[in-house]
Amino acid sequence: MTDETITPGAADDVSRRRFLRVATTAGAAVVLSTTAGVPAVSASPAGAKDLRVYVLVVDGLRPDEIDPHATPHLYALRAEGTNFPQARSLPVMETLPNHVMMMTGVRPDRSGVPANDVYDRHEGAVRTLDRPSDIRVPTLLERLAGTGRVSGSVLSKEYLYTIFGERASVRWEPEPLIPITDHAPDLATKLALSAMVDETDPDLVFVNLGDVDRVGHADLTGTSLGLLRAAALGATDAHVGRFVSELRDRGLWESSVVMVIADHSMDWSHGHKLISLQAPLESDDSLADKVAIAQNGGADLLTFIGPDSERSAAVERMRSIALATPGVLSVHRPEELRLAPDCADLVVYCKAGWRFSDPTPISNPIPGNHGHPATEPIPFFVAGGHRRVRKGVTSSASATTVDVAPTVGELFGLPPLVGGYDGEIRAEALFSREE
Amino acid sequence: MMNRRQALRTGSLVAVGGVTLAGPAIAGGAEQPFRHGVASGDPLPDSVLLWTRLTPSADATPGSGRGGESIVGWEVAHDADFRRVAARGRVRTGPQRDHTVKADVTALDPDTWYYYRFSWRGSTSPVGRTRTAPAVGSEVARLRFGVVSCSNWQAGHFAAYRHLAERGDLDLVIHLGDYLYEYGAESGAVRPHDPPVEMTTLEHYRRRHAQYKTDPALQALHAAAPFAVTWDDHESANNAWAGGAENHTEPDEGTWVERRAKSQQAYAEWMPVRYEPGGKLYRRLTFGSLAELSMLDLRSYRSEQVAHPFDGGVHDDERTITGKEQLDWLTSGLTTATSQWKLVGNSVMISPVQFPSTLNTRELEAIADVVGPIEGVPYNVDQWDGYTSDRAAVLRSLRDHGVSGAVFLTGDIHSGWATELPADPLTYPLSGDSVATELVCTSVTSDNIDDYLNLPPRTLSLVVEAVIKLANPHVKYLDFDSHGFSVLEVTPAHVRMDWFRLADRADPASAAEVTASYRVPAGTDRLERTPRSMDGVTPRHEAATGHELAAARRQALARQEAR
Repeated sequence: MTDETITPGAADDVSRRRFLRVATTAGAAVVLSTTAGVPAVSASPAGAKDLRVYVLVVDGLRPDEIDPHATPHLYALRAEGTNFPQARSLPVMETLPNHVMMMTGVRPDRSGVPANDVYDRHEGAVRTLDRPSDIRVPTLLERLAGTGRVSGSVLSKEYLYTIFGERASVRWEPEPLIPITDHAPDLATKLALSAMVDETDPDLVFVNLGDVDRVGHADLTGTSLGLLRAAALGATDAHVGRFVSELRDRGLWESSVVMVIADHSMDWSHGHKLISLQAPLESDDSLADKVAIAQNGGADLLTFIGPDSERSAAVERMRSIALATPGVLSVHRPEELRLAPDCADLVVYCKAGWRFSDPTPISNPIPGNHGHPATEPIPFFVAGGHRRVRKGVTSSASATTVDVAPTVGELFGLPPLVGGYDGEIRAEALFSREE
Repeated sequence: MMNRRQALRTGSLVAVGGVTLAGPAIAGGAEQPFRHGVASGDPLPDSVLLWTRLTPSADATPGSGRGGESIVGWEVAHDADFRRVAARGRVRTGPQRDHTVKADVTALDPDTWYYYRFSWRGSTSPVGRTRTAPAVGSEVARLRFGVVSCSNWQAGHFAAYRHLAERGDLDLVIHLGDYLYEYGAESGAVRPHDPPVEMTTLEHYRRRHAQYKTDPALQALHAAAPFAVTWDDHESANNAWAGGAENHTEPDEGTWVERRAKSQQAYAEWMPVRYEPGGKLYRRLTFGSLAELSMLDLRSYRSEQVAHPFDGGVHDDERTITGKEQLDWLTSGLTTATSQWKLVGNSVMISPVQFPSTLNTRELEAIADVVGPIEGVPYNVDQWDGYTSDRAAVLRSLRDHGVSGAVFLTGDIHSGWATELPADPLTYPLSGDSVATELVCTSVTSDNIDDYLNLPPRTLSLVVEAVIKLANPHVKYLDFDSHGFSVLEVTPAHVRMDWFRLADRADPASAAEVTASYRVPAGTDRLERTPRSMDGVTPRHEAATGHELAAARRQALARQEAR
């Protein structure tokens, strides 16, 4: 059952939004929004559609957490398709940059999103990159919609929903949001996904399941038992399993490509292994009050905010102070990591088992973190019943999050982004069109 | 097309090239100028190193320094009949290098089988078969390697090599050291060493290498596949370190610097390895995007072993097993590798092993005999356990950089092990988090526990193994008794090792059976026992019945409770 209402867009007339209220099988109502003038419901009858792609991001999932006992559905799905055990997240190993890389196919020096939080030089403040204008290149979501197909986004985290904004033809605004974590539980996300598929049958749906990450961050037993995490894994795995069953039951499986990936992994630290750079930087006369720190869990982005004439010497001083701090793994210029030079002067990584807590030692109390190289390994596999999916394959290819857009684009026959992709088509997972 | 195994069984390769099993007899007997066989090694995508030794005259015996300069021809072909020759050339040799021949053949195709042979004054060597590595970055579906170590001539025959040669499915053989032993002839030996004295001079080292290279099974294996080798201590002297060795006495045996230089010269001459004296033995081979193999040298740069395990020196960060330059090379290679599997040819065990107090004196002494006691203390400070700072640096770099797929391939300890390397030993028993794995092949012939205990194999050793596994939960497999070899399979989905046990190391025709099979599923850095070997056989796991293993575990638990 669907109710439809139209409201004026908040910013301008172009984004006049329509709302679809969809009743779910669980009895709850899911509200989807669409953009006026853009097809929001697939024109093709369900049986006639040849290709559906579902990109399921299990936020923060580690590849070694997929096993036959803890995550039987993910395990089975991975075994059915093409697995990339070498897959890695890309710097900075955080949620926003990697979701943006997945949907754009370009690295942060082109996408504009290098981390979750950066120091915004124009605004003179550290802020979360959660605005639609933070993404500087077209994403698959609007590019696909531009071809007359329907794209959808079902993103559990508030900042993901806001940064991708109205790019997809049909969106779900995450609710109910859990206080502090600002994300909707996977139960709600899964219901929204099913409702969206039922109601609008998009050609592409981009999904973020946030529980594994959000629970992992807070799991005080993460270094040993991982009790909360294990429970979240099991529940999320069951949601994925139910979604796959629905696709099969509805006869959509043979036309479906299900890409499962994480945006980053997770690493747990003990309470005493935290790094706060604010104090040593402030205690240096040449740097006091002149360094802004954007803390991203396992990575600190340092920006010198003093006079430009002092920048060069100051940055070297910041580098040496950071490298002398226990728990620091390495220090990089942003361009070494393919981040835009204006996002920071230095990116500082911590070692495994450590975390940053800036500006104060109590700023980051959560044991589970990511952003540092220890959290690069991610699961990435391509499954589904579509004839182009290679079955039972394991590939040594060095797949990354930035490969998602080129691969999905190839499936839909989209031309590459202007300037080309930075990622690669993961042809190892796909039969060619002729095969 | 007939595969290699079929060809060997039908004898066609022997007929065309005299490659393999009968060694020098097929090759033309003891008078044949290439009587030490042929070998190849260190394959790269476009080149491979070929080796032989010429005996140009009856007096030009190994180590003699006699015999004239000679020019030896070599040919590399796509077929065993040498109708499609891919490359040919000539190499000069003479007494200054003990008439050994090394030819680095270049401009070959990647991932390709080749046949090769040498010629001199109308005589032709046995034919060898070798394989180039896959192109850099290319997709590779499967590799199979033989993995061996600790082949003591006096302790038995090299049936293990014969079994590997017969397989016909090996892309490479990795020899992890103790390819030969320095000891003089021992009474009661299965076959005596030549020369009969402990090797200390250049002549000794050359003669000993030459003796080993007359073994028909070793010749067959060298002819069947390329080798990647590293030395451990016995190629020079027992428990060698940068400044000496346990089995070196100054001044009676000269200076260590001189002795080591002689051992290294003979090694460079007689082994199919891209190493020349003064250079570095540690090196890296790559196999497309699937794997790379870092071969370590853990003897040339190491600090002296500490006297006993309670010596705080084991944790001294000034002490090293690798040397700083090699450690940097290893860690930077592991953390920047683009290949999926980072294999490390590692002559001594890197896994931490604690020997619990529930072992009795007799058992401890027997273990001490195997692991190399230092001042009688049964704790192996000759392996990475004695150099914990370097080990921490390696494991730390794996963990800090999120490196997956590091697998240490190890020899030295005359026993078979499969272990996980805990990310954090304190939390490992709960979390099971592992940063790498280690697969240890047993000895081809060298003594192990049942030999020292003088007991039937798989009796008391089963209890000892159970006790050690209880105290070291990261040890998943341990066999202290068997001699034999391992076969390693590398695919994008897993690395797996099968352990094979010889029925009788003193019998050159000994049968072999598979007694364990473990795999490391991709992306896990953990071990999993597999129900069938890669040949489709159900292993007799740990060479014991399930009842015997359960009984051994019960005894181990009882000992623990009794404490």
